[in-house]
Amino acid sequence: MADTTGQLSDGTANVPAARNVTGATIILLLAFAPQLVELAISLAGLVGSVSARSPLQVVSAHGAALVESLPMLLGQWADGRKVTLRSDALLALIYTYPLVAIAVFTFLARPRAPQDYFGGVALMAVALFALWAASDLSGMRGFTFGPGTAPRMLGVLLLAMGAAVAVIGLVTEGPALQVYHWRGPFFVSLAILTFAVAIRPLGLIVAAFAAFLIAALGTPETRWGETLIVGVVLTLGCALLFPYVLGLPMPLFPRFLVQ
Amino acid sequence: MLDLFQNLLHGFGVALSPINLLLCLVGALVGTLVGVLPGIGTIATVAMLLPITFGLPPVGALIMLAGIYYGAQYGGSTTSILVNIPGEATSVVTTLDGFQMAKQGRAGPALSIAAIGSFVAGCAATVLIAVLGAPLTKLALLFGPAEYFSLMVLGLIFAVVLAKGSVLKAVAMIALGLLLSMVGADLETGASRMAFNIPELADGLGFATVAMGVFGFAEIIRNLDGGAEADRELVQQKITGLMPTRKDLRDSAPAIIRGTILGSILGILPGGGAVIASFAAYTFEKKIARDPSRFGRGAIEGVAAPESANNAAAQTSFIPLLTLGIPPNAVMALMVGAMTIHGIQPGPQVMQKQPDLVWGMIASMWIGNLMLIIINLPLVGIWVRLLRVPYRLMFPSIVVFCAIGIYSINNAPVDVILAGAFGLFGYWLIKHDFEPAPLLLGMVLGTLMEENLRRTLQISRGDWSVFLTRPLSATLLAIAAALLVLAVLPALRRKRDEVFVEG
Repeated sequence: MADTTGQLSDGTANVPAARNVTGATIILLLAFAPQLVELAISLAGLVGSVSARSPLQVVSAHGAALVESLPMLLGQWADGRKVTLRSDALLALIYTYPLVAIAVFTFLARPRAPQDYFGGVALMAVALFALWAASDLSGMRGFTFGPGTAPRMLGVLLLAMGAAVAVIGLVTEGPALQVYHWRGPFFVSLAILTFAVAIRPLGLIVAAFAAFLIAALGTPETRWGETLIVGVVLTLGCALLFPYVLGLPMPLFPRFLVQ
Repeated sequence: MLDLFQNLLHGFGVALSPINLLLCLVGALVGTLVGVLPGIGTIATVAMLLPITFGLPPVGALIMLAGIYYGAQYGGSTTSILVNIPGEATSVVTTLDGFQMAKQGRAGPALSIAAIGSFVAGCAATVLIAVLGAPLTKLALLFGPAEYFSLMVLGLIFAVVLAKGSVLKAVAMIALGLLLSMVGADLETGASRMAFNIPELADGLGFATVAMGVFGFAEIIRNLDGGAEADRELVQQKITGLMPTRKDLRDSAPAIIRGTILGSILGILPGGGAVIASFAAYTFEKKIARDPSRFGRGAIEGVAAPESANNAAAQTSFIPLLTLGIPPNAVMALMVGAMTIHGIQPGPQVMQKQPDLVWGMIASMWIGNLMLIIINLPLVGIWVRLLRVPYRLMFPSIVVFCAIGIYSINNAPVDVILAGAFGLFGYWLIKHDFEPAPLLLGMVLGTLMEENLRRTLQISRGDWSVFLTRPLSATLLAIAAALLVLAVLPALRRKRDEVFVEG
């Protein structure tokens, strides 16, 4: 950790060319994020027991979907056959392809207000993802709403708004991207994650203390002596306050020690 | 009129019972304590402290939560004045003149005027709730699903118009919030929507979870950006002389009254609330002042008006919740959560069926305000000492507390992870200049809106024109449309931007 301020040095707004390569790459990554996340989950499934599909299945299914879905759709249009697309193919069509297109466009374009442009694009990604997630829900049935009607309406609205924000960011002068710092977000998230994972098996004392110390890594100004003392006091305080004073049920000690 | 007094008397009877008095006191104190901490706003405070009220009887729990709410608000103004860090979004404008007063060695009068203003506003708002409660409940009986839907549309439009920055971005945030509220089982068919077979999502995203992420964790992460100890100019000198001079009182009295009126009105409207009220009150004071240049240099009206306004709004925002069952802002939505846990369905019937609860809570607000003024002014020294705790020690503690709080709502580790994810998302929102408040309002109203829209269309057999043919609904929608047009008109846009430049 050479730079102690925890500042990401991802170029400055004065160099639009460099910015666009990074921007396009990030959008491209976003385009394939659902597939990658599923792969990661199924890989984790090899060790734990979360698996729905094996990693190999995930790769082949998504790979096939990414290659086939467009020809299938075009074929459907060409000869009027009704093809039912699988969920993976729909993901490729609804989410991944449009975002890849946007990534290519971003590579070529020079948004004049990057803050708005990338904000709008990300909202479009969220909207497309929601449209895909709602694609298995039935729509209008006669004059009554189906479960999928409202999510689809809002997905379209969000898509339109995101696109509008992005287009305005493209053509009007505006603020550059703000600097992202990695240190605070990373360690605070890690602390939260640690707490979530540890609370059930290891109990409040271990989880709270570990989360405290990890969160403290979030700033270079931490002095470990005082942090340790405060951490111990805080942990003991929480251990008394939540289960005893407030009567909230939560395990205090690691499960293996209690048994 | 007699009814009114009887009701209030009944309420005081409930609120003055020793246990409820104690709960009110504890709530106000804990709320102030957490509210003083920089980086945790009212919403995060209430979300974090929600679980501690689970074990209490319903009336006591709501009294305590209400105490936490205005205690937090009050604590926020203390930090604004003393440290120039608004503890809450509602006291952002208080920093402008409050901190200047503190720098001039007049921290004492600033604090006490803020307290007096809040108290006056609190008294007025309490009476207003009592007066408006019954008639509005009657009005609620005229409301069908179409009217409910239109009213909520109006609320959302309000939030758009009053949010700072781009109208487009605010609409986008509302759409996103509404979309998030759709996650989970569909109310009518039970179909699982956008839940990806995750069991914890089957019931939908927890409102407290999202609120904690977007307002709690995101704020902590953002505070770390500048380095933990950056720009924390603490007023180090001892605070001497709490009492305002007679001139201070004379100057601030009209400002307090104007702030109270403005705040009360903005609090009742859905989508309004305390943040907007304080901004509006400050701007209004500046507009009508004989010498506007005094503002920003320690004008006492600049403390009195927004502080009265935000407290008035904080309390009157209970009105739509208690009479119509519509939470007008995020904190009220958390209140709905607390009520549901205790098996209370907020709405017109609560007023009739559970007078203990409603009037007890209303009376306890007044008592709570009195407590705050009596207890807090002498305690200012303690709050200041708390502020001297360096942020590098404070923020890990806040992270841990928030995590425990979120976990204990459902005993679900997934909730904690989700809150963390929404924290990162909230950080991203801040970086791209998106306002999280409309998002939360959308999420609050989403389920109710969809339910009422679907019901309306079922009754009208798919005919959308009912929204325009029913007079009440048409009026509400017309107001909403007019507001939106006004907001988009360029001339007004410029004015509106000026209003928020101070923030």
